[in-house]
Amino acid sequence: MASKYIALPKGISEQTFDAAVRDFSRVLGDESVLTAPERLAPYIKTMMPVPDSEHTLSAALMATTVEQIQKILAICNKYKIPIWTISTGKNLGYGSAAPAERGQVVLDLKRMNRILEVDKDLAYALVEPGVTYQQLYDYIKERNLGLWLSVPAPSAIAGPTGNTLDRGVGYTPYGEHFLFACGMEVVLANGDVLRTGMGSLPNSNTWQVFKWGYGPYLDGIFTQSNYGIVTKFGFWLMPAPSAYRPFVIRYQNEEDIEEIVEIMRPLRINGVIPNAVVIAHALYEAPVIARRSDYVTGPGSISDVAVRKLVKDHNLGIWNVYAALYGTEEQIALNWKIVTQAFGKSGRGQILTQQDVGDDPAFAYRAALMRGDMNLQEFSLYNWRGGGGSMWFAPVSQARGSETLKQMSLTKQILAKHGLDYSGEFIVGMRDMHHIVDVLYDKTDPAQEKAAYQCFDELLTVFSAQGYGTYRVNSAFMDKVASTYGPVQRQVHKTLKKALDPNGILAPGKSGIR
Amino acid sequence: MTRKKPMGRGRSSTFVLTPIVMAFVLDAIAQVAPENPAPASAPGAKWKNGAEVYAKICGYCHENGKVGPVILGRQLPPAYIHAVVRNGSRAMPPFRFSEIDEESLAKLAEYISKSQNTQ
Ligand SMILES: Cc1cc2nc3c(=O)[nH]c(=O)nc-3n(C[C@H](O)[C@H](O)[C@H](O)COP(=O)(O)OP(=O)(O)OC[C@H]3O[C@@H](n4cnc5c(N)ncnc54)[C@H](O)[C@@H]3O)c2cc1C
Repeated sequence: MASKYIALPKGISEQTFDAAVRDFSRVLGDESVLTAPERLAPYIKTMMPVPDSEHTLSAALMATTVEQIQKILAICNKYKIPIWTISTGKNLGYGSAAPAERGQVVLDLKRMNRILEVDKDLAYALVEPGVTYQQLYDYIKERNLGLWLSVPAPSAIAGPTGNTLDRGVGYTPYGEHFLFACGMEVVLANGDVLRTGMGSLPNSNTWQVFKWGYGPYLDGIFTQSNYGIVTKFGFWLMPAPSAYRPFVIRYQNEEDIEEIVEIMRPLRINGVIPNAVVIAHALYEAPVIARRSDYVTGPGSISDVAVRKLVKDHNLGIWNVYAALYGTEEQIALNWKIVTQAFGKSGRGQILTQQDVGDDPAFAYRAALMRGDMNLQEFSLYNWRGGGGSMWFAPVSQARGSETLKQMSLTKQILAKHGLDYSGEFIVGMRDMHHIVDVLYDKTDPAQEKAAYQCFDELLTVFSAQGYGTYRVNSAFMDKVASTYGPVQRQVHKTLKKALDPNGILAPGKSGIR
Repeated sequence: MTRKKPMGRGRSSTFVLTPIVMAFVLDAIAQVAPENPAPASAPGAKWKNGAEVYAKICGYCHENGKVGPVILGRQLPPAYIHAVVRNGSRAMPPFRFSEIDEESLAKLAEYISKSQNTQ
């Protein structure tokens, strides 16, 4: 007999699942327990090169309160049902809203979306997981609070809780999001409610202003993990500066990245350039203004000659360095002098501001991102190859010119071997870089899908063999990346898992932890 | 410092807002203050009208065909819009019931379907 469910959790019979669903419905009401195929359809689509059936959920639960979540966990513990938590559920290119393993129940917290507090003076926010950046942006604007967000490129449709819990990044001076997180409320697998840091202290009003509390700092173990369900999330906001100057520096050779990084590093470490700078390759920029089919025919990756032509046709750099200055006009004038002198010396880069580029759409979206505005222009990336396939390859690099060049060449070479293009950028931290490559492929073409899988696998193997670790990965490759960090870390993760979630009900498989 | 009011309507308890109360690692569910189950007043799954959804989500990609195709003024059938929103299409992500409920999606589909071509 055909099952009435589109999937079942591993090792759980239909009868047991029936009982669990009945109990879930008692807690949430029937309309918030989704099992019908058409209700579950939006959770199924991923951009990964594996059959969606491998990540098909069995049910989705729309909870809105801590109390409901506690009751759901009690049911999961009783029947040993695994649940995969999402907040805004737009983890695109990392697994989207689908669970790590087939049959897991998705706990969807999108409707738990109150903005609990935004403090103008201390510049922080406390939100529930379902709050989107757009919602918070509107809230701040309506009240004229004079605060800026830092957002990832999918800004409007994503949210601070999910993004930060997966240790995502934005592009303002607050771009390394977890650095600016301050205080969480977490429901543990046994139903306990933990407030981290100062939040554990009765009568404290410093939960969102002091991160460390007392004793071992716990917030970190709830990021990229499956040790708890975060139900409140505090983080700092940036006071809007009185002046803002975004700019781009265009370079014409791939080797120039050495110079770029060597000049940029001291400016970042010294705080002259305060934001998460992006060094975007031409192929990361191109989709905003150009079509791949104008430069490539047939299979295989785009040639260097074609890239050079594209760059010339559209007035791009092979590298496009986006950064900004923030502060008063006087501060900016002073720092602008330092920046232009540093980058002007060799004469290789061309420094341009808003006035110089006019309404260039690539500049416009970067300028929006560096001030935390809502903008989805980066989705143009998917027009490059078409077919909706994408995986973010995200190795960490030192902020050292020779290293970035090496990583770029290595990535490009492996991609080309599998017929894929290098759509890459470096997001500059102070001492590190997130090297971010969108491995774009046509998911409707089985041959390309297979090539993309093999390519990604090889990228991980080769990079880890060279000592380069990946900071975040899609759910088809979480075990593989976990193994690159060695057995001791894995064992510690497992020990914590056993202690905090002995029945293994929370997101089994997240970061390779079960 | 006193905490400001949240956006939620009809809160039954101030517990929700004071970190003091849930300060401990609580042993029993019963000890946790009941929270207001009503969703926030800001856009959750319910939206004011189709224009709002278009402006706050669709338009970022579809306005003037910036990223995806123009969808206004083409008399696209509501059923088609519904299907694309729920299933996604190529790189366009699907949108869940938790993000936009059926009623709001119907309004959106009507708005897009009946819109005039301005682009
Ligand atoms: C074109 C494009 C550009 C992108 N650019 C960026 C970028 O600039 N920076 C960036 O960081 N990402 C980027 N992404 C990737 C991704 O879309 C974003 O990181 C997005 O913010 C993640 O989705 P979300 O915020 O909805 O989080 P969610 O999908 O809700 O959550 C992400 C993960 O965190 C965990 N989680 C979520 N909620 C909880 C909870 N309450 N308790 C415990 N665990 C939880 C789960 O493992 C979940 O899968 C990009 C994607 C695309 C398609």
